[in-house]
Amino acid sequence: MHMFLTIFAGVPTTLLITVASLALGMLGGIPLVLGRRSRFRALRMVSRFLIETLRGIPPLVWLFLIFFGFGSSMTWMTALMASIFGLGLISCAYMAEIYRGGLSAISAGQWEAAEALGMNHRSVLSKVIGPQVFRVSIPAAATYGIGLLKDSSVAFTIGVTDILFRATAQSYQTRDALTPFLIAGLVYIIITIPSAWGSRWLDARLKNRVAR
Amino acid sequence: MTQSAQNKKPVIHLQNVSKRFGANTVVDDVTLTVGEGEVAAIIGPSGAGKSTLLRCINLLERPDSGCITVCDTLVNAGEQIGAKELALLRRNAGMVFQSFNLFPHLTVLRNVSLAQERVLGRGRKEADEVSATLLDRVGLADKADEYPNRCSGGQQQRIAIARALALEPKVMLFDEPTSALDPELGLEVLAVMKELAVEGMTMVVVTHEMQFARDVGDHLIVMAEGAILEEGPPEEIFSAPRHGRTRQFLSAVLER
Amino acid sequence: MSFFAAWDSWFPTLLNGLWVSVRVAGLSLLLGLPAGLLLALGSSTKRRPVRWLVIGLVELGRGMPALVMLQIVYFGLPSAGLTLSAFVSAAIAFALTTAAYTSEILRGGLQAVPAGEVEAAEALGMARRDTLRFIVIPQGVRIAIPPLMGFAILIFQVTSLAYTIALPELTSQAYSIGSSSFRYTSVFVLAALLYLAVTIPTSFLTERVENRLARHL
Repeated sequence: MHMFLTIFAGVPTTLLITVASLALGMLGGIPLVLGRRSRFRALRMVSRFLIETLRGIPPLVWLFLIFFGFGSSMTWMTALMASIFGLGLISCAYMAEIYRGGLSAISAGQWEAAEALGMNHRSVLSKVIGPQVFRVSIPAAATYGIGLLKDSSVAFTIGVTDILFRATAQSYQTRDALTPFLIAGLVYIIITIPSAWGSRWLDARLKNRVAR
Repeated sequence: MTQSAQNKKPVIHLQNVSKRFGANTVVDDVTLTVGEGEVAAIIGPSGAGKSTLLRCINLLERPDSGCITVCDTLVNAGEQIGAKELALLRRNAGMVFQSFNLFPHLTVLRNVSLAQERVLGRGRKEADEVSATLLDRVGLADKADEYPNRCSGGQQQRIAIARALALEPKVMLFDEPTSALDPELGLEVLAVMKELAVEGMTMVVVTHEMQFARDVGDHLIVMAEGAILEEGPPEEIFSAPRHGRTRQFLSAVLER
Repeated sequence: MSFFAAWDSWFPTLLNGLWVSVRVAGLSLLLGLPAGLLLALGSSTKRRPVRWLVIGLVELGRGMPALVMLQIVYFGLPSAGLTLSAFVSAAIAFALTTAAYTSEILRGGLQAVPAGEVEAAEALGMARRDTLRFIVIPQGVRIAIPPLMGFAILIFQVTSLAYTIALPELTSQAYSIGSSSFRYTSVFVLAALLYLAVTIPTSFLTERVENRLARHL
């Protein structure tokens, strides 16, 4: 059906927002989790406050704040950029919590062994613990990513031409308000299924290289 | 306690019962009779199928072949059993588990009363009275309003015994009742079990407690690899086992 | 003009919006949680056709973004003859999402009840229905409370999506004030603070509840 293809054409944009935001989150989550587990109480509190704030405000409000609020003075900011930036910020907070869970899952023995070998704190983190945390976090990160894929639909409210935007446009054009949205729902479901399988496959491949 | 099995009315009868888990035959063509008032103790090495056999009696495990009779209820393997018959069978056979399996969100009194209300249809007041009497009998009357996790392992197991007795079963099944308890706490439980035996309760006990099997048991059953090796009065088997395998097991257990 | 100017005049309007958000979230949970429990029970039943149907519904409910569900209920249903107000549409759409997601949370809780207890109930001759009612559900739901509270916080945030169907909840109110005053940043910061005023204390409460529950059982 013509309608299906038009709506499906929004998939690349949806995927772009999801992947870019997730990437931002996976990077930005690192300083946040390090701050959260820092020795300095002030740093711990600031990190905790940032994480709670980022997670406690609805994504839509973040998008509006960034696009209409801050973005009104930054004319170079497109709706797409605002979406990626907003969802990326929120992802930093969620990834930080996922990393935190991953850190506690790595057996304490790893830390002790590495330090006994004379490695300094920073090397232990980056060479021994870090890669393991990354691998342990993959299932949770993949689950989060799938959720993000659905959350990315908020971007349509500020004009990003993703799946939902195209469905809404179709509903105006064809005066049929039910079918386009049902199709949109179907498209989201279709693209999340392979992602779920893919994450299970990836998890199985990496599972053996972690000491729990 | 030492009358011969032939004079007694059979309470439990297993005929050619087998149970497989996948390719593994865990219970291999077992035929067994337990008479009224008898205390049958089942012993043997791990993996001998003792627990599985016990669990077949009250159909927690469904046997693949053979038939099982508990009091007057007959069950054939492979046939569907009606809900009413199953309920009757389970009411007649009470079970006590290795890990007690009390309900942690209910008080001790409620633990003992709940099944009375739901299975026997007793009113709350009547059920609670019966529960209080039973708890007193096992020495735990003062724990009635406590929650199970505030009780020691030995106390929890005694509560579990009271819970099973509340339904007035004709036979009590014990699945390694003291294996999860330290020796001291285990003694309290064994004392209660001994009292039950003296009062004439028919009991089938899977256990590693050889002292109990010898002192309280009338009918010793030695199992290995899913089959019964020997059975008979405990004194006979302990002093003069006929099979090499029995000897091997007994020497490992009795001369620790 | 100061950043905080007019906050006092905006506050009552935004507070009304917040109240609408809370009511929608509350209604969604009230409708969705019992449905979630039914679905959780359905997904563990032995009868295969029922199980497949329930699992299918749950995956459908979880795979579809709440925002799309909302559009379907508010814009789509009238085409099929059922027209509902914005408030009711939001409550229903989010209740459906709640049912799908919480069914998985509750299923986890129900499965976490030790199998030994279910066996003991069986050995006592208790009917399956009674075992569920007295043993499995009370403990399973209790185990599920912390993740359910976490989900409640998320549903509260999801109510912001009702902006797209012109429900006068907090985000819509903030947007109208923003579009008439052009002080978007200012009003959205205030709206954000109002959201945080609900989500942060609830988060802390959830942590405390989790710690307390872990101690008892």
